[in-house]
Amino acid sequence: MVTVSVSAAEAELTDDERAGLELVRESGGIHQSDFWKELDVSSRKGSRIVESLVEKELVDREETVYDGHNTYYISPTARDLDFTLLMAGDMLSPFIGEEEVDPNSDAFSQWIMNLAYEE
Amino acid sequence: MAFEDLLEDPVIQKYLHELVGPKGMPVAAAPPDGEVTDEELAEELDLELNDVRRALFILYENDLATYRRLRDEDSGWLTYLWTFEYDNIPENLEEEMYRLHEALDERREYERNHEFYLCEICSIRFEFGEAMDFNFECPECGSPLESMDNNRLVDAMDDRLDALEDELNIDADA
Repeated sequence: MVTVSVSAAEAELTDDERAGLELVRESGGIHQSDFWKELDVSSRKGSRIVESLVEKELVDREETVYDGHNTYYISPTARDLDFTLLMAGDMLSPFIGEEEVDPNSDAFSQWIMNLAYEE
Repeated sequence: MAFEDLLEDPVIQKYLHELVGPKGMPVAAAPPDGEVTDEELAEELDLELNDVRRALFILYENDLATYRRLRDEDSGWLTYLWTFEYDNIPENLEEEMYRLHEALDERREYERNHEFYLCEICSIRFEFGEAMDFNFECPECGSPLESMDNNRLVDAMDDRLDALEDELNIDADA
């Protein structure tokens, strides 16, 4: 398997695709029917842009009903998430690698203390 | 080496370290392109075969590696060919963000709905009921327990919950 890094895929985008990707990231998710209007392109061109971004795995797309019409919802991929939200100071979420989530565990108390007093 | 862009992220490094531990980290931190055997990895990284296998199975359990088995026709021995599946790391961390959100939400309820007392000497916190049972004296050292305000904890939890909801598009009122 050849692994093409996402940043490499991103470097090869056309201007329209790049603008589309920015729009999806900034909005945090957008319906396809709003996507092309916001970008100020035709619906056909809008769907080609989405198609290309989905293929490059830069956005996720799922079917949905919006304003009574079948359309797609376009959202950023998990790669775009801010994973530092799992950190409190230099401590990672204590639930990683654990089967069960115990909100009253000592490790989580420590994490919350870090959050309150070290950030 | 593959997945360089992901491995540059310090949170992802910390995540892998948390899963495989310090001994497994050389394996987790340098995923090769394509397939590799445990023996090749042990040789290349100058590690004990057992440590390599342990790390690979932890990665496998977390959907971060897969293997296929090949049988050598002459010796009948099985060879495991491993592939690193680090494309799954972002989805795993997304799931962890949801789990963290759920725990914070539950813990915030508890912090809001209870009163706490603190022994400042031992740094032990007691719920109101416990403190009353001890006559507001620390069971360890006997010093008086002082009422403790947890607003700072709750505020910090509020902020992080807001940030997680914003990032994950969670509707807080849902």
